[in-house]
Amino acid sequence: MTKRIRSKIARGSAELAILSLLAEKPLYGFEISKQIGERTSGALKFTLASLYPLLYEMEKRGWVEAHWEANAAGRDRRYYRLTTSGRRQLAPLRQEWRSFFEALDALAGVSHA
Amino acid sequence: MHDWQRFVKENLVSAGVQEVLPEVVTELADHLEELYDEARSQGISESAAFHKALQEVRDWRVLAKEIRRTKSEENRMNQRTRSLWIPGMVSLLGSNAVLMILQCVGFQPRLLWVGHVGMQFYWHWLAALPLFGALGAFLSQRAQGSLRVRLAAGLSPALVLLATLCLILPWGLALHGFSFFRMVRFGIGVTNWVLLPALSLLVGVIPFLREPQSVR
Repeated sequence: MTKRIRSKIARGSAELAILSLLAEKPLYGFEISKQIGERTSGALKFTLASLYPLLYEMEKRGWVEAHWEANAAGRDRRYYRLTTSGRRQLAPLRQEWRSFFEALDALAGVSHA
Repeated sequence: MHDWQRFVKENLVSAGVQEVLPEVVTELADHLEELYDEARSQGISESAAFHKALQEVRDWRVLAKEIRRTKSEENRMNQRTRSLWIPGMVSLLGSNAVLMILQCVGFQPRLLWVGHVGMQFYWHWLAALPLFGALGAFLSQRAQGSLRVRLAAGLSPALVLLATLCLILPWGLALHGFSFFRMVRFGIGVTNWVLLPALSLLVGVIPFLREPQSVR
């Protein structure tokens, strides 16, 4: 598999992970990375360097929007929320990945039990 | 206690970000600080926690490049302005300037008669138009304009003239009433000032309608 294809798969899965999380509720960057790590038992890990450029890119595309909000301790956080456009991206993206895994399963038997 | 804001700002500046947006610095610094605090709360030593935070960014140059791409450009001007309005304006102003210069230096249009209606052909201007079509499409292509946007930017002088004529026609009809002669004149005007210039501009635009070899 070429580096370019690997990179596209990684990026696509990262977009799906972030959009899926934000579809539940608005989160700030650290929470996003933490929740992805926890929910996937560490299989997916976002560092600062991989997370924020992707969030900014998604913001630029209009899939997410951000606003500053102070938490209980008075600390400002930049919360990301899914936009209507982002929500529209989610369904086809999920379907795309479902098809991808079905195809892999048919080929290599990689589906989970 | 670490000054994370200063740490992030210094790293981004030394990695080549000219103007670091304060909100980006604050957000990234908060992320590092939270990671550090979490590690400390788990009983990790100060230096190990600091090291853990540092592991978040292996190469600041890569991060700086990504931030520049997504943030700085976006703030300077949006994509549509760069790919359509500016190239279109350059093409329009350039072609109009050439027409004015030709008129000032005394180049006369060739006059052709269709019945009782005269058509003025600025052959020299038409010959210069491929250059401005190419310029508009080139600037649009450089700004990653789509095929339609590149076409519109290159043909902008003809499109503006078409819009102008379409505004003049109802005005003339309202003032002087409908006549066959007026419609013929309008048709000739469209041919003379829109269709022929558009064809000439298109000659320059065509080479820039092909997709670039590598976008990324």
